[in-house]
Amino acid sequence: MPDRADLLPGTLDLLILKAVSLGHVHGYGVLLRIEQISDGALEIQQGALYPALYRLEHQGVIESEWGTSANNRRAKFYRLTAAGRRQLGEEEASWKRLVEAMAAVLTATPQEI
Amino acid sequence: MNHGVPPVAGLLARLRSLWHGLRRRDEIEAEMNEEFRHHLELRTEDLIRRGLPPAEAARRARLEFGHVESHKEAARASRGLRLFDRLHVSWLDVKLGTRMLAKYPGLSLVAVVGMSVAIAIGAGFFGFIEMMLDPTLPLDEGDRVVSIQNSDVRNPGNPDRRSLHDFVLWREEVESVEELSAFTADRRNLVAPDGRVELVRVALMTASGFRVARVAPILGRPLVADDEREDAPPVVVIAHEEWQRRFDGDPGIVGRQVRLGTALHTVVGVMPEEFRFPVSHRFWVPLRLDPADYERGGGPAFFTFGRLADGVTLDGAQAELTTMGLRMAAAFPATHEHLRPRVLPYTYDWVDVDSPGVALALRGAQFAISLLLVLVAANVAILVYARTATRTGEIAVRSALGASRRRVVTQLFVEAFLMSATSAAIGLLIAAVSLEKIQAFQTRAYDDLPFWLDPGLSVELVAYVIGLAVLAGVIVGVLPALKATGRRMQAGLRELSSGGSRMQLGRTWTALIVAQVAIAVAVLPYAIYIAGQSVRRGLAAPAYAPEEFLQARLSMERVEAPPSAEAAEYERAFEARYRDRATELLLRLEAEPGVVGATFASRFPGRGVYHRVEVEPDRRRMGTSYADSVREGRVDDGALVNAVDIELFSVFDVPVLAGRGFETADGREGSNAVIVDRVFAERVLGRDDVLGRRVRLVDGRDPESGEVKRGPWLEIVGVVPDFTDQYGLEPVDPKIYQPMTLGGAPANLTLAVRVRGGSAAAFSGRLREIAADVDPALQLHELRTAADAQREAQWGLRYTALGTVAVTLSVLLLSAAGIYAMMSFTVVRRRREIGIRAALGADPRRLLQSLFARAGAQLAAGAAVGLLVAVAVDRALGGGPLSAYGGLLLPAVAALIVGIGLLATLGPARRGLAVQPTEALREE
Repeated sequence: MPDRADLLPGTLDLLILKAVSLGHVHGYGVLLRIEQISDGALEIQQGALYPALYRLEHQGVIESEWGTSANNRRAKFYRLTAAGRRQLGEEEASWKRLVEAMAAVLTATPQEI
Repeated sequence: MNHGVPPVAGLLARLRSLWHGLRRRDEIEAEMNEEFRHHLELRTEDLIRRGLPPAEAARRARLEFGHVESHKEAARASRGLRLFDRLHVSWLDVKLGTRMLAKYPGLSLVAVVGMSVAIAIGAGFFGFIEMMLDPTLPLDEGDRVVSIQNSDVRNPGNPDRRSLHDFVLWREEVESVEELSAFTADRRNLVAPDGRVELVRVALMTASGFRVARVAPILGRPLVADDEREDAPPVVVIAHEEWQRRFDGDPGIVGRQVRLGTALHTVVGVMPEEFRFPVSHRFWVPLRLDPADYERGGGPAFFTFGRLADGVTLDGAQAELTTMGLRMAAAFPATHEHLRPRVLPYTYDWVDVDSPGVALALRGAQFAISLLLVLVAANVAILVYARTATRTGEIAVRSALGASRRRVVTQLFVEAFLMSATSAAIGLLIAAVSLEKIQAFQTRAYDDLPFWLDPGLSVELVAYVIGLAVLAGVIVGVLPALKATGRRMQAGLRELSSGGSRMQLGRTWTALIVAQVAIAVAVLPYAIYIAGQSVRRGLAAPAYAPEEFLQARLSMERVEAPPSAEAAEYERAFEARYRDRATELLLRLEAEPGVVGATFASRFPGRGVYHRVEVEPDRRRMGTSYADSVREGRVDDGALVNAVDIELFSVFDVPVLAGRGFETADGREGSNAVIVDRVFAERVLGRDDVLGRRVRLVDGRDPESGEVKRGPWLEIVGVVPDFTDQYGLEPVDPKIYQPMTLGGAPANLTLAVRVRGGSAAAFSGRLREIAADVDPALQLHELRTAADAQREAQWGLRYTALGTVAVTLSVLLLSAAGIYAMMSFTVVRRRREIGIRAALGADPRRLLQSLFARAGAQLAAGAAVGLLVAVAVDRALGGGPLSAYGGLLLPAVAALIVGIGLLATLGPARRGLAVQPTEALREE
């Protein structure tokens, strides 16, 4: 099973959805996009990406299609489905709520209690 | 993680992906390889660009990617394919299974038909039970809406709803239930803008009821507390559908006036589409109640409901009400000594199944119905077993080539599952169509069907059906497979070389045949009887032309509970007015050019109140055994009793077969003349000497003294034919008609209007107009042609008949196929023995005899057991079905089943005799 020590459990799917939502992209592209956006802070074990991609495809939130990559090779491209867009929206909102809540807790001072 | 995808769409996406994955397994593996390779190449190139030497870059890329095989494994799991890998199911199995289905079309057809019917019945019943056991109000937090009722501890099933004084108190004091509301249902004549009159259901509800529902009107306002004042102008809130239908969606509807019953009402609001709260209502008027008008414990009956306050549970609310109830019982022992308020789920009164006993009984029934499938599947399993037996060679070869037992069993399971899954799909389709038909019929026939009842396909139902399919697949596929792949695998290989099939069966086989025959013989007569009854009743037609008749129940708008002080006077005046208006209505109808005649009765002919009947002993014929038995109460015979207008028979053109019809004098008080129908004369009295005989009606026992209550002696003055429903073979309920005139009629009559030329349906509008013209308070309930009423009454019967016939046929088909398979298999097994005996010079006739002797013994044993069971059950149930067709049904069924068994023996026996002795010997 993938080693997700660097990521919070459950966040890989969200990251992939976000990366795929930014435009059609192949598997390696998803990886680069995440590393690039996070400025290298989030690193994904590369092979673990694919089971997650297949799982999301299986759930119907992303779909794939074979095409030609920039270097003229056959590659599988992923894109978000309508259900995926909905799910991404919900996950983003719930993630923000979590972050705010965590921030509120962690910044609490003795005076506030 | 998956809340973004609606459950059904998500499920579909998964199934699609799984289907795709199973079908194109190799392609998907190849694509996965290609995708991984592409990734590694890109990564390698990236690393080279960053300055690593190519070899090192490739190594790093592989290292970073991780263990390819374990990623592949995880990827397969993501696609849901791993489960199938574990089960060792492959697309090949599915293909092989499909091929087997096509190769044995007879077996496939029998199996699929049988299982489809069983699954359809199971699914239909499951849908019904789900609806009954788990009714949730489709409202915001619908599960927090509750009802309160005063329950009488001496008779808890019968709540006291006349609790106006309590309601007022609860409303003020109860804290655990908010927005306490009340409603009562009534019917009123609505005069549409085009002048058409229609009787509609109206909810008289406190304004707070709308707040309980938490639904706002789309136009105007809901009812408000001010509307409940005695002197407030009459207002009505209407449903979206009524607004569209009756007022053409007039945007200026709010403020318009409509006549509802005897008063003009101002429309103040329109509720959104499909809003039917509190039960099935489309018109809402304020409920006006003044406790000052009534004594404690008096007043109108109504239904009390509200919402649980935040954080309060049903038990919490019950605790508060219990305390209050005890206080009331102490304060007002005269009225409240035995009353205890109960807080109940809102739907409790409609689907009274919260008692664990009832729920358990329903679940038990469901289990029993699921067992039907087990029975059917067991039958199919026997067939499949016989087939599997012929495949022992194939199975043995596969095992020898390295297939594990599990592998072989899986393949046989997949074959069986294909059959059961096909059956499940068909069964589900049948159930869905039937449920939809039932729903459509109910909505049409009963406009008071609660809005929360929706017997449709639910996720649970589909899951249940899938479960059934798997269960059937296991029974049909796995059990025979386990037996076939058991310890005798080696023998299978040997058999392959000798070209025959030889699975050891022996005693189990004999027991199976006997059981199969016994069950068929015991069960079929009942199924045939029920089907026959339903078919006959479902197709019965009256002697008159039902499309010429309009029928309706005639009532009059009234104050449900007049203030206590005026109640007696109100009742007297109401009844007098009712008779007066009914008389006028009948006169007006008879004067109509299109009307042949108008008459009335307490029920429409064909219906009535069932009474036990006692016949006066006939002094001239003492000892007439049947009538004596009736008189002595040994035979529980009865008749449908109906009080009819003395003119009714002439309006229906019913001839008097013997004696006379009713005369004016018969309608007077103290008259004891009755007319019976032919069925009564023949069945209860024994045909002759009917006129002048006397009968009396028994009204059951007095609950307190235990004494049997008997009416006065009534004299039979005439006999009429069974004109209401003619059932061909066998008559149904005997009927007694009592004379009635309007002067002594109760305020609840049924009208029958005969229209010239069979255009009764077209006259219904005119009938309403005339009634409204006589008095706007006159109400015509369930106005329709007798033909429509009959169709509605027979609708259920026809479906029962259809269902029973389907089940009967599938049971018969399965039994026949099962017996055939078992019989022919027995003979095939003895083929070699027969061949050898023939070679040794045995007489073919004797050989045949010995074959049939064994089969005959098995069949006879089965038939005997079946007959015994059937007779015992019939006795226990008090007799009936088996004697209904002159006692012929049971022997006929037994003969049929035995006949099928013997036929099944014949073919294989002849094949056995045709075996050349040399061949048979060579096989050894």
